[in-house]
Amino acid sequence: MEPSTASAASPTESAEPRADFLKVTQFNFHYGKKQALFDVNLDIPQRQVTAFIGPSGCGKSTLLRNFNRMNDLIDGVRHEGNITINGHSIFDPKIEIIALRRSIGMVFQKSNPFPKSIYENIVYSLRIAGQNNRRVLDETVERSLQGAALWEEVKDRLHDSALSLSGGQMQRLCIARAIANRPEVLLMDEPCSALDPIATAKVEELIHELKKEFTIVIVTHNMQQATRCSDLTAFFYLGKLIEFDRTQKIFSNPAQKQTEDYITGRFG
Amino acid sequence: MPNGTHILGTFDHALHSLRNNVLMMASLAERNLANATKGLFERDDELSNVVIADDEEIDLLEIQVDREGVELLLRFQPVASDLRQVVTAMKASVNIERIADQSVNIARRARKLSAQPELSSVRSLEPMFAKASRMFADAIKAYADDNAALARELKPRDRELDEMNRQFAEACTERMAEEPHLIQPYLNLIFIARFVERIGDHATNLGEDVVFSVAAEEIRHTQGAPPSA
Repeated sequence: MEPSTASAASPTESAEPRADFLKVTQFNFHYGKKQALFDVNLDIPQRQVTAFIGPSGCGKSTLLRNFNRMNDLIDGVRHEGNITINGHSIFDPKIEIIALRRSIGMVFQKSNPFPKSIYENIVYSLRIAGQNNRRVLDETVERSLQGAALWEEVKDRLHDSALSLSGGQMQRLCIARAIANRPEVLLMDEPCSALDPIATAKVEELIHELKKEFTIVIVTHNMQQATRCSDLTAFFYLGKLIEFDRTQKIFSNPAQKQTEDYITGRFG
Repeated sequence: MPNGTHILGTFDHALHSLRNNVLMMASLAERNLANATKGLFERDDELSNVVIADDEEIDLLEIQVDREGVELLLRFQPVASDLRQVVTAMKASVNIERIADQSVNIARRARKLSAQPELSSVRSLEPMFAKASRMFADAIKAYADDNAALARELKPRDRELDEMNRQFAEACTERMAEEPHLIQPYLNLIFIARFVERIGDHATNLGEDVVFSVAAEEIRHTQGAPPSA
């Protein structure tokens, strides 16, 4: 499914954002005998924010977790169909799963900093990859914290424990950690559900800044957040993609009755 | 427009109350227009005075609708058809209040006219009054029934009313040349025709807002524009 008014960029024009940067084709996903996604087709454009909405259990997080193949960690799962990132299948046997996950940052509902210093949280994946050059690490820390709008608040205590930060700061630290590797895609699974309104506003403002550089997919139960933050919205229900369109269209005049019933809080 | 009830019953209740207040305003404004019409044609100053006095309750209801609308937006942050309904109710109240104001204007001019001998031209205003009042009634019916088809009919009817007003003003101007000592009463009649014509405009605005609310379609300022696909 393509958003009805999204402009289609030619893949050959690399300077132009790609309209199908994340492309989901005829995608079915099963947890054992239970099918969680049914024939999902979706083109997510580059450097825009796409929100996934829908009731609990509708499959939105399942799809999100397929983008970096996190579901591979669960026993008994299987899929049909394909997902490509910038034209490359994430299921290609030649693909290195670690490299894939490095190119797709993820932020979770509950912030999960490592019990290490702020500095070490951010450089953790670089160290795992064998990078120990102090100058590179310092630059990465500053760039990532700047990008996550946290630098000014923590620059004088980079070696304090990450666990000493407030909830909102921890979540922005996790965003800084997620962008440290300069991923192409940033997945956010209800990133603000545990934050107060001020911290939420900071993260939402950050999302607005980050989309200049990253393709962002955000799962949210907060309709107002989807309206404020996203360019496109996909509505899922019972494992099916019901409607995908510009956010303004979805929240002002959705085409499908199921979408309307859900966003207006009606009995279906 | 979806017709299922909301999971949040308090939202249904608030929306229902908002719509009821708009419909209450409309019925008071219809009564005021009927009284203004009667006051003019029956030269009944008592009725004209009632129209002027009764305008206040409509003004108060307009404030009430605004307050409830803002509170509803604040508390429930409605989207899609719910949002359109709230916005339309708030805009409808503005148009209804202005229709009520036009009735007051008519009543004021009617009192001036009744102080002088009756002009025969006043009778030729009757079709305009009948048309404007039917347009207003249909606009409110369209709002109450979410009837976009009826709402769409108002625009062409308004153009007919505009033409009636133009012809009436032209006829009065001719009479003023023939009876220069009656210029002031004829001017009052021209003003009254203009107020009636404005009632048609407000009824049309109401209809346009109903189409937006029901069909999410923008039909304002579309004269001469190509038809939407």
